[in-house]
Amino acid sequence: MYALVACLAVNSAYAQQDGVLKLRLDYAPGIPLGSFKTDVVNQTAWRGYSGDLMYYINDRWAVGGATGFHDFYQQYPRQVYKGADGSDVSAVLTNSIQTVPILAKGQFSFVGGTHTVKPYVALGVGGNFITYRQFVGEYDSGKDAFGFAASPELGVNIAFGPWPSSAGINIGAAYNYMPFNYAGINNLNNLAVKLGVNIPFR
Amino acid sequence: MTKQTGMPLAVIALLAAAVGCTKQPLNNLSIDDTKIYITNRDSTANFSSFKTFSITDSVAVIKNNQLNVKTITPTDSAFIAAVSAQLQQRGYTLVQKGQSPDLGVSLNRIYNSSTAVVDYGDYWGDYYGYWDPYYWGYPGYSYYSSYVGVYTVTDGAVAIDLVDLKDAAATSKIKSVWSGLIRGEGIISQSNASAEVQALFAQSPYLKANN
Repeated sequence: MYALVACLAVNSAYAQQDGVLKLRLDYAPGIPLGSFKTDVVNQTAWRGYSGDLMYYINDRWAVGGATGFHDFYQQYPRQVYKGADGSDVSAVLTNSIQTVPILAKGQFSFVGGTHTVKPYVALGVGGNFITYRQFVGEYDSGKDAFGFAASPELGVNIAFGPWPSSAGINIGAAYNYMPFNYAGINNLNNLAVKLGVNIPFR
Repeated sequence: MTKQTGMPLAVIALLAAAVGCTKQPLNNLSIDDTKIYITNRDSTANFSSFKTFSITDSVAVIKNNQLNVKTITPTDSAFIAAVSAQLQQRGYTLVQKGQSPDLGVSLNRIYNSSTAVVDYGDYWGDYYGYWDPYYWGYPGYSYYSSYVGVYTVTDGAVAIDLVDLKDAAATSKIKSVWSGLIRGEGIISQSNASAEVQALFAQSPYLKANN
């Protein structure tokens, strides 16, 4: 799946001769939000990465594919939980969730021309591979799922030379909208703070 | 051409590296943390209506829903003593089973083979096979539980059951009023028995002879 998305992006890029193809790699820790934070995991996923392969059509617009990885984890100290059948269950509870979104992405820069500092807004829409495991003591249950994902993003690209043909760094933040319905969980929404590099390929 | 294949491969390599970084969920789990304590009760039972209890003199070893043997190892004795002590702390009086106890207490060790699980519902369905009602002096009676859980036991577990003998004659049934189940690493241990039983009772504050 990754190869398919990446190849499509590459082939699309090379079909045109005017733009620039850039690979972006970010360290992107994920901060759980809303009910995901209150009910499942409230710790930041420091194991968070994202990347995209974007074809810069002109000085403002780019299209391509994006992916990433977050490893959310939380272990709650022993406490007594109420079971669905009325039982009382004393256990250490561990939640472990991994997400790998595969997104089609569009990006618009607020500043045109070859300026080296380019604030941008972007939107990624696609699917999301989800692995959810909950351990009651050492006994696990869970679900593997493929769900919807959308990721609006704000940030700034700072190039080391003329845009877009130069490499540069990125700073941004993306709201990862990730519905997931299982065992009372509604979503895995999180805020990814991104810091990384972008590298032109041609 | 090299670039065309190299770039997607770089993305795949990034993903593979990232997935490999997944934190192992149980790495921080101590032996004690693996233990889970499950209790359930008949919500209609009035536990202060019971004053006396009798406890089995051995532990039933159940493998794949079948009684394997009844034993009284030092570990079994430790569990029997711990349960008896906890009940007496809650105000119940230990009597011999011939002295018309209000509560009957039985202990079971549950195991499975590598190919089967012990369903806790089946466990109660087969209870007659582990502790014949004759044991309590009520031959021909059937066991009954209104609250059987949905747990499956995929390894070792210790189950403790309290049954209502006081009302058995009136209903012709021996009704389960409380169950405790212990699962996890190293649970069947003489040195751990007291603490584990105490944990079950700690989460069952309603279990006392006097209100």
